[in-house]
Amino acid sequence: MAEASKAPDKKEDVSRRRIFSWLASVGLFGSAALAAVSDWLFFKPQVTYGPSARFAIGKPDEFPPGTRISRDVERVCIVREGNRLAAISTTCTHLGCIVGISDTGFSCPCHGSRYDQDGTVTGGPAPKPLPWFKVTLAPNGELEVDKNTQVNPGTYFTV
Amino acid sequence: MRLALAIASFVVLIVHGVVFYNQFFHRWEQHQTAYFEQARSLSKNDAERAELEARSPRVEQTIVTSFGDTHVDRCTTCHMAADDPRFAGHAEPLKAHPYSAAMGDVQRNGRWERRHKFSDFGCTVCHGGQGRGLENVYSHGEDEFWPEPMLGYVTQATWRKDFTPHLKGKEYMEANCAQCHTAEDFAGTPHVNRGRKLFYAMNCYGCHKIDGMSEGTLGPDLTEVGHKFKIDYLWESIVEPRANLATSFMPKFNLNDADVESLVIFLKSRRGVNFAETTLDRYKAHIANVAVVIPPGTAGEKAGEQLIADRACTACHKLRDKDGGIAPDLSYEGLIRDNAWMMDHFKNPRSRVPDSIMPTFRFPEEDFTRISSYLQTLKAPPPPAATAAAAYKELCERCHGEKGDGNGKVAWYIDPSPRDFTKAGFMNSKPRDRFVASIQNGVGGTSMPPWKNVLKDEQINGVLTYVLTTFTKEPQREVKPHKVPQQNPVASNKESIARGEGIFLERCTGCHGRKADGKGPNSLDILPHPRNLRNSWFVDTVPDNRLFDSILYGVQGTAMPSWIDYGLTQENVGDLVNFIRSINPKTARSQYARN
Repeated sequence: MAEASKAPDKKEDVSRRRIFSWLASVGLFGSAALAAVSDWLFFKPQVTYGPSARFAIGKPDEFPPGTRISRDVERVCIVREGNRLAAISTTCTHLGCIVGISDTGFSCPCHGSRYDQDGTVTGGPAPKPLPWFKVTLAPNGELEVDKNTQVNPGTYFTV
Repeated sequence: MRLALAIASFVVLIVHGVVFYNQFFHRWEQHQTAYFEQARSLSKNDAERAELEARSPRVEQTIVTSFGDTHVDRCTTCHMAADDPRFAGHAEPLKAHPYSAAMGDVQRNGRWERRHKFSDFGCTVCHGGQGRGLENVYSHGEDEFWPEPMLGYVTQATWRKDFTPHLKGKEYMEANCAQCHTAEDFAGTPHVNRGRKLFYAMNCYGCHKIDGMSEGTLGPDLTEVGHKFKIDYLWESIVEPRANLATSFMPKFNLNDADVESLVIFLKSRRGVNFAETTLDRYKAHIANVAVVIPPGTAGEKAGEQLIADRACTACHKLRDKDGGIAPDLSYEGLIRDNAWMMDHFKNPRSRVPDSIMPTFRFPEEDFTRISSYLQTLKAPPPPAATAAAAYKELCERCHGEKGDGNGKVAWYIDPSPRDFTKAGFMNSKPRDRFVASIQNGVGGTSMPPWKNVLKDEQINGVLTYVLTTFTKEPQREVKPHKVPQQNPVASNKESIARGEGIFLERCTGCHGRKADGKGPNSLDILPHPRNLRNSWFVDTVPDNRLFDSILYGVQGTAMPSWIDYGLTQENVGDLVNFIRSINPKTARSQYARN
């Protein structure tokens, strides 16, 4: 009787030990996995110092048709033709100088890269055309440029 | 055992989970998601909706550099709808910031336009709080150690909760308005204006100083009080002056709550600086404040006299009846110093008196010329003193002291220190001619000026006799001539200077210092202090034979020993003298060099 009762006990004991070790490994490996994930997420900063990539530039009325205004702080050129508006980067795609506005479009003072009105390369060492950024109208009636979002050259925002 | 391990591992897992949740699931994300949803339902067209769909929660920030220190304001991370007029009636945090005509906002075509745009001003410039914070407790400045909690919204009456109700209300924000709107009658800051009036009306200005407003010295300087203290502390200090400083003798003024509030707001607006100014503006304003306005056409001397008064020269120097008690008497300057000396000394006092403590004032050169031309007019000698004692009192006592012990009222500020006449060992071992010469011609590189134009020869002799009999007391001994060469017999060349430097480093640096500037490790305990051997104006006036005498036979009455006893030969001293001469080049004395 005693023998009989001992055997199943032992069996149960073994399975309990297995359950515990299984649970322990779930806990440990789970937290290790969680730690790995959070370490990985920590690599990317949630926010960095420096001007926001999304910024307000003012009301559409401030840019009458025909405007080409270069904003050196944010490094964009605001172009308005009729009721169409666009923001073109003024960072040279060659080595990052601020390109100036010239009669034919843009020209870089550093190594002489030249771009046409739409930012397409017409000369010099620049490898790529100047990117265009997305322009939207914020609820308070001001235009917003989002330098995180590039749009195809020729994509205008209609005021 | 396994049970314990299982439990422990789950505890670790839970802790990890909590940390993970806190780090990556923020309340501001919920606010932003809510904003996107509500904004989507309010959008009028598909483009707007698509635009909102594309956005995902992230930290929003405005960096404002135009108002003093850089403000990094992340407030719109939660208060996303601050600039979205559609959210005017919503609850915080998704509530549009109200528009107000009083703040300069205008309505055009049925649409409000802000005067103070958030992209230019941020939030904390007006509201206070901690712009970088992303949790209420930090961002609103509830953290007890944050110096600028949101004004009128968050109070930190940590030690006196009963003040809290007094300290809420948007009128407290006027203290920040006044950082730029400094006009005394600015309509937007009635409480600041009232507080300013009270500051005068309640005689606060009598005891307290605020730069540009009052000069009181009895109480603490309140120029930067708004920068140092929070409003609860200010309130308490006014209604219960002895609450923080038991020894305060500030009276408890009869003020009602409205008065106290206005005063607190006014005091909170005193920051010493204001947001609208850059450092350059402040510097210019400072210059304008201390600038001396000379009426055009004023003669140079007259202008100089005004400059001396307005530049507060007599805060240190003595000029006739005004005496700062720190620096030498200027009353006879025209007889003592010439124009070149003065101009050199103005541009850099150390160029003439190498150990002078006078600051190098950066006044325009024109001002120096004017002051100098005024001082040059001070050529009236003092009325002839009846006795030598009176002459000593008038001219010498300021430095050499009433008792002749070199401890006059300004002596502490003068280096090398004035001679102590009571040290008979020194006074009796030097020939009388040397003292006469020192009085007549002054001592180069020190504050002892030449008196020959002020005192006649017989007066000088009289004063010297008075000094020797009154202070030195011991009768003059016959000075035994020492065997020293008149000229340095050792030719000055590279080898000799190198040998001299070796001896100097070995024997002399303990007192005279490794730089030979008289500031060696033992110098502090020695009175008179060891000579600064880089003081070219002094060293150049000392002939070789005196250097030989001082080194070989010591200087009685000072700590300088007789080095002949320590085995230095004439040749050694010759090398030393060559070394000392070599560190005091006779030409090319730059005004910026220490010597």
